[in-house]
Amino acid sequence: MATMTYDAIVVGSGISGGWAAKELTEHGLKTIVLEAGRPIDPAVDYVEHVRPWEKRYRGMRDRKRLERYQPIQRHTGACDEYAGKFFVNDLDNPYSTPEGKPFYWIRGRQVGGRSIMWGRCVYRWSDLDFEANAREGFGVDWPLRYNDLAPWWSYVEKFVGIQGRKEGLAHLPDGEFQPPWELNAAEAKGREILLQKFGGERLITNARLAVLTENHLGRQKCHLCGTCYRGCVTLSYFSSVNATLPAARKTGNLTLRPFSVVHSVIYDPQTRKATGVRVVDGNTKEMFDVRAKVIFLCASALESTRILLNSSTAEFPKGLGNTSGELGHNVMDHIMDGGAVGTLPWAKDRREIGRRPDAIYVPRFRNVKTKHPNFLRGYGFEGRASRQGWERGSEMPGFGAQFKKSLIGDLGPWEMDFGGFGEMLPRHENYIEIDPNLVDAWGIPALRINCVYSDNEKKMQEDMVVTAVEMLEAMGATNIRPYKEDNPPGLVIHETGTARMGRDPKTSVLNGHNQMWDVSNVFMTDGACMPSTANQNPSITYMALTARAVAYAVGQMKRREL
Amino acid sequence: MRRREAVQFLGAALALPFIPRSAETAIKLGEALHLRLADVPFRTLNRDQQALVTNIAEMIIPETDTPGATAVKVPEFIDLILTEWASDEERAPFLAGLTDIEKRAGTMGAPRFVDLPAAKKVELLTALDAARDDKSGAGLAFARLKALTVYGYFTSQAVDVDVLKTQMFFNGYQGNVPFTPAV
Repeated sequence: MATMTYDAIVVGSGISGGWAAKELTEHGLKTIVLEAGRPIDPAVDYVEHVRPWEKRYRGMRDRKRLERYQPIQRHTGACDEYAGKFFVNDLDNPYSTPEGKPFYWIRGRQVGGRSIMWGRCVYRWSDLDFEANAREGFGVDWPLRYNDLAPWWSYVEKFVGIQGRKEGLAHLPDGEFQPPWELNAAEAKGREILLQKFGGERLITNARLAVLTENHLGRQKCHLCGTCYRGCVTLSYFSSVNATLPAARKTGNLTLRPFSVVHSVIYDPQTRKATGVRVVDGNTKEMFDVRAKVIFLCASALESTRILLNSSTAEFPKGLGNTSGELGHNVMDHIMDGGAVGTLPWAKDRREIGRRPDAIYVPRFRNVKTKHPNFLRGYGFEGRASRQGWERGSEMPGFGAQFKKSLIGDLGPWEMDFGGFGEMLPRHENYIEIDPNLVDAWGIPALRINCVYSDNEKKMQEDMVVTAVEMLEAMGATNIRPYKEDNPPGLVIHETGTARMGRDPKTSVLNGHNQMWDVSNVFMTDGACMPSTANQNPSITYMALTARAVAYAVGQMKRREL
Repeated sequence: MRRREAVQFLGAALALPFIPRSAETAIKLGEALHLRLADVPFRTLNRDQQALVTNIAEMIIPETDTPGATAVKVPEFIDLILTEWASDEERAPFLAGLTDIEKRAGTMGAPRFVDLPAAKKVELLTALDAARDDKSGAGLAFARLKALTVYGYFTSQAVDVDVLKTQMFFNGYQGNVPFTPAV
């Protein structure tokens, strides 16, 4: 068995792994990034400008292929005829769930991970979020507060490049923003009306996006083609491939090894430290070890914990570093699929030029200043106002020359959509474990995921529909179509928890610096570390936590504490 | 069920001329088969159904100063979707609905829809357009046909490039640009 030795190992090259690689290499550490999937070449793999007529089913998806090879991944819209290749083959990557309790685990195994297809929404938290667990007695208290993370958010935001509008909200703090795009004519009027009718409590603002409106650190400003989830040849949105991995490469300290499926962490009971990781070559399926002084697990919330569950020793029979018994527990996602669409009566004489990738956000307004009787925590809305153009043709009455002329020469009315994204509570009974009867294509024991939404999330989802309709009614919308879908967790693709941070090694897996209590040279900075998940999209917080954890680890290494 | 029909169809069109004796011959034969497949756009719709679908698609989006549905091969696209994409549960009611359209044409005094005088065709399609929410029959078939015609037309290369003139690069976003519909 061959062995390689580095200063640092990073497992995974997605949002968190890319940041770990950049920070570790910039601190001068010889770092290997082990990525389970294939390499990505933007010139070849990015497909954002491919037109429907270049695809066999014109973008309607290859349904039969999806049913055969991606029966789980197909549930997410981005797994389509263009970008389906960025999602895993479910046959190679199995997991199980209890009868009647599905969990949609949406994964991307390639260099860049899901940072290639992510939604690019980036929102800071506030102490309303950090203090919620302690205040309400759910899970454990966060070992840090807004002021601990604020400088790190600033640090990563300045590198990422974020389009956003400063609003001065205490519960959704402003970040380091590039100039925002304007709201379109319909959204701007909607903002005005909601400000009047809800006194600023329900606010339409720009979606804060990791997309450039000005050239930034060698990446070009967005060219507004509108299909970011398929890649970006101008590198205008942030991803590991577009930003952090090139920065890491520039240091000369990076080794990136694709097709490297990490099986487990190797633990030395004498030193009580990890010596490295055991890896299965993705192509040859041969095993080899990589050794290093420090290990960053950034393989995604469930994958990183799977690695630890597969690393049991005599001392840690229930997973490496699981003295607390919390490893694998407290799985969370967000809850979505509650909202409404309506037709706006105004701005028919106005149009957009350019396709903004995402449009608007309505920050959380429930349980901010007053307490809601039906549920804890809150939700925000993502949305947009848009004109359908020719796509309205299948629903529009008529046929013939005039019908055709209208589809080409008119755009249809503005449709306003509000879709809620709500917080899910951390619950011990939502957990992952190793399925004793299931292995993946590389022979690595696979997960069994036990996770369901609770009443709190379902009541929140009901409220999303009510408040979305209220906003549309306030705006004078007609043909209001409320919607609520009963999808299983996982589909929001914000899975978190399973190795939570905390103040006490008896009840948490990681300390306040993402460092394992039990194995001090192993850090976890992906979604696994989260004691709660707020309602904001999580990636920018993983980035800030990663940069902060690397600084801490490097400090410890310099003081020879690691 | 559909797979068998497709095989029968291919069997008729592509009867093997000889049995390949080497890998190279097999590859060449495969390529020849592939080429001939490309010449066979209709695998689900029979000749009468092709004529019906083509006639209706062209009536939904006729040729004007820009191409119509037939010119950009919408009927072929519809057949592709019916053959490879639709489930049996989607395809069967659609084809049954086409038969219902022909029956409706029969009650209007013609053996087939395509034989109706232009005014009668418009009358029938107007009635079907009002019945687009029907769960089966002629209304359902027309609704599907209309959706596929619109989609197939506007996602075709000719329309995307020459009619819509779709742009992929914009120098900045503008959200409040004056607009006058050209209708």
